[in-house]
Amino acid sequence: MAAPSLPAWLALQTRARTLRAFSTAVSPVTGAPRLSPPTTERTSKHERAPRRKALPPRTEKMSVDQDWPSVYPVAAPFKPSAVPLPVRMGYPVKRGVPMAKEGNLELLKIPNFLHLTPVAIKKHCEALKDFCTEWPAALDSDEKCEKHFPIEIDTADYISSGPSIRNPKARVVTLRVKLSSLNLDDHAKKKLIKLVGDRYCKSTDVLTIKTDRCPLKRQNYDYAMYLLTVLYHESWKTEEWEKKKTEADMEEYVWKDSASEKNILETLFQIKAAEKNTELSKEELLSTKEVEDYKNSVVSLKNEGDNENTISQYKESVKRLLHLM
Amino acid sequence: MASVASARWLRVSCGLCVPLTARRAGPCGRTPSSRFYSGSAAVPKDEGADTAGTEEVVIPKKKTWDKVAVLQALASTVHRDTTAAPYAFQDDPYLIPTSSVESHSFLLAKKSGENAAKFIINSYPKYFQKDIAEPHIPCLMPEYFEPQIEEISEAALQERIKLKKVKASVDIFDQLLQAGTTVSLETTNSLLDLLCYYGNQEPSTNYNFQQHEQTEELEEAEEGDNMKSKKKAGHQLGVTWRARNHAERIFALMPEKNAHSYCTMIRGMVKHRAHTQALSMYTELLNNRLRADVHTFNSLIEATALVVNAKFEEKWNNILDLLKQMVAQNVKPNLQTFNTILKCLRRFYAFGKLPALQTFREMKAIGIEPSLATYHHIIQLFYQHESPSKGSSLIIYDIMDEITGKTFSPKDPDDDMFFQSAMRVCSSLRDLELAYQVHGLLNTGDNRKFIGPDPRRNFYYSKFFSLLCLMEQIDVTLKWYKDLIPSVFFPHSQTLIDLLQALDVANRLEMIPQIWKDSKEYGHTFRSDLKEEILMLMARDQHPPELQAAFADCAADIKSTYESQDARQTASEWPANSLNYIAILFLRAGRTQEAWKMLGLFRKHNKIPRNELLNEFMDSAKASSSPAQAVEVVKLANSFSLPICEGLTQRLTADFTLSQEQKEALGDLTALTSDSESDSDSDTSKDK
Repeated sequence: MAAPSLPAWLALQTRARTLRAFSTAVSPVTGAPRLSPPTTERTSKHERAPRRKALPPRTEKMSVDQDWPSVYPVAAPFKPSAVPLPVRMGYPVKRGVPMAKEGNLELLKIPNFLHLTPVAIKKHCEALKDFCTEWPAALDSDEKCEKHFPIEIDTADYISSGPSIRNPKARVVTLRVKLSSLNLDDHAKKKLIKLVGDRYCKSTDVLTIKTDRCPLKRQNYDYAMYLLTVLYHESWKTEEWEKKKTEADMEEYVWKDSASEKNILETLFQIKAAEKNTELSKEELLSTKEVEDYKNSVVSLKNEGDNENTISQYKESVKRLLHLM
Repeated sequence: MASVASARWLRVSCGLCVPLTARRAGPCGRTPSSRFYSGSAAVPKDEGADTAGTEEVVIPKKKTWDKVAVLQALASTVHRDTTAAPYAFQDDPYLIPTSSVESHSFLLAKKSGENAAKFIINSYPKYFQKDIAEPHIPCLMPEYFEPQIEEISEAALQERIKLKKVKASVDIFDQLLQAGTTVSLETTNSLLDLLCYYGNQEPSTNYNFQQHEQTEELEEAEEGDNMKSKKKAGHQLGVTWRARNHAERIFALMPEKNAHSYCTMIRGMVKHRAHTQALSMYTELLNNRLRADVHTFNSLIEATALVVNAKFEEKWNNILDLLKQMVAQNVKPNLQTFNTILKCLRRFYAFGKLPALQTFREMKAIGIEPSLATYHHIIQLFYQHESPSKGSSLIIYDIMDEITGKTFSPKDPDDDMFFQSAMRVCSSLRDLELAYQVHGLLNTGDNRKFIGPDPRRNFYYSKFFSLLCLMEQIDVTLKWYKDLIPSVFFPHSQTLIDLLQALDVANRLEMIPQIWKDSKEYGHTFRSDLKEEILMLMARDQHPPELQAAFADCAADIKSTYESQDARQTASEWPANSLNYIAILFLRAGRTQEAWKMLGLFRKHNKIPRNELLNEFMDSAKASSSPAQAVEVVKLANSFSLPICEGLTQRLTADFTLSQEQKEALGDLTALTSDSESDSDSDTSKDK
């Protein structure tokens, strides 16, 4: 089986070799008529036609005061024959200079904004003014905007060159609202913050809800509004099991019924007992100014953390309380 | 300008046509703006009403616009780039077309690529089923050209009619009749429509393209104005209505015919030039007391006008008869009616002028807005065959006064012939103001669309530019030159020669090297009449030295084009004038080496130098004090046996000191010449 194929393969090889030799022999022949004087035999029309020459770039014809937005009206790739700037780009190799703009792939790869010069943008804005309505006169400051329109919705639309206008990223809806503009009492606010968790930013007091679980933007918007409604109403309700809130669940330090209160009361009682001064009751002790001070300093220390102010305040209040000053 | 234009596109929304965003308005009922929404959904207390002490926030109603309004607004900020080729071509110095032939072939190549792709998609539809386009683009999907229904039934017939398969549908129809089933009137009518539209022949794939070309040829052949060309055009069109073809047969087989059947037959017959049969079919229609529709009447008018062997008055009366019948049958005429009448009146030459004006007035009286085709026909009627002795009609001015500033929409297939004929009239009347008016009309609104295909556009702009060269100041002409050429049209060499003559008249010959450089770019490198004109203008007078140097460079360039042309062809094509001019230009610029080489070329191409040229050579030889060159000149003159040879020889002996050999050589020469003259010259051979 292999035997007959082998000579065939060999024959193919030799044929290929002769073919190659033939083709290499042919090329000088075809090259020759171009060099030989024209009075030789008629060559084919293809060889007689002169090679097509490139025109000079049209930057030479451009006048200095031409209308540039007309040359680049839309986003277009960089055309070296149409941009009259002597731009260079590329890594200079060994004491050379960056490459010139003709045939420069680097200039083609980067996005260019030749269609968005300031002049062009100004013209576009002028043309688009007709599509805009006036800003309401009453909303002339940020606070008024916030007061009248506390909820902000962010959506994004995407376009790209291609046959499809759909982009899955376009369904994302972000809802932002300041909790101060919602009508929440203390318990409701704490409950809401516990419910939303990470979505609440303490420093700016902004609740951000980002939804993308539905396929359509309008569905996501409806869902976000629904979430806000539900959160609000739920945070106003008080469930049975909320009464079991322990100290570990507290968001901030509450001094009443805390270990610190117990401790200080014990200490004061012990001091008083040592001094044989037992007529003060718990409430009276608590209402004295030093204990108030102490309470404030402990609360601020626990809530705000350690810094110069709080620690020194604590020190002062302890000293005053224990009559060490 | 933008605000005026955009007023068309915007509609301020009323509460009813709210866009998507407004549908999500909160229950407080205020129409929201695009980004901010009232927080009423979350706030239990009523925040929507105005709180005391604050002003009411009035949200303006949202504007709506159609899909392309924003793009149109942005497009109004840009204008045409005068250095760029039309957008359909690739914007690369190598790929921009350099002549109208090239631009035509490039566009055809592009289209043929599209057709090839379409062909592949339609041949192998199972590989192209995946559709990623959203929303769906039907024209990119494969089309099915093969009929799906196989059995003989009326549905199969309808399908084949829809796919425009003439032969197959006729076959199925015959089979249905043989099988005995009756075909409904609707289907038979649609079969008749198909047959009459395609003239009982199978439509080829580029049917529509061919049809349009052929009607154009027919029009131009008619404008050649003789019966011979009409016959020739008839042969070219090829589809004539043969008697007893399928349509007539099926028509005869129909058990009942309604008005639609008759109308279709009439229109088919007129389309394929069976005019008398169409008119007889019309009398049949009347005999059956049926009524024709307006399209049929239009065809009948055309048929009446094209019937041979009838006088103009008779034909006109027949047309008027038809119109009266139209009124009697209560059929309202439309724009096509009047355009057809005007078109037919063109054949009546001078007789048609008065009826044309009557028709036009009637059209206005009825209230039909004339289209550009109407005006085109009127212009052709009045200006086509006039003899210069009678004087030109002034109707073009009336027409232009009426339509200046109007934008037109396409209503008639002949609309795009208006600008060509208008510009032709302006050119023949030599009226630049009128040409500006026509051009202004072209640039109003969207009227650019009516300029027509390439040949017509080139014609229009050629005539326009020639008129500018003739009549306008040179600065303005040069501005138009920069604006139009070559981004709008490629000029003929005649146009460039007109421009050169305009430069000559305005004494701006320094632009000539620039014009030559430009014209090389768009394919005029080998046009000898243009090159001769350029050389002639440069060589005619003396100029300051820099200009002379520029001219000499230009001449050297032209010389190299002649040489390269020489290299390509076997027959050399140096015209005598060119050689003369080039030599003069070299001499004047001081490039004596090259100039002397030119002398050699004279001898090689066997062309005769002019007397002034030889004198200039002698001057130059004297300036460089080389008697050898002077002797060369004399030898050359002698070899051509020029009469000036005598004068040159005398000058030679007078001005130059010749060496002995030179004198001998000179003597030989003069001896040769003297042999052909009288004996008195024999003693000049004293030096031998």
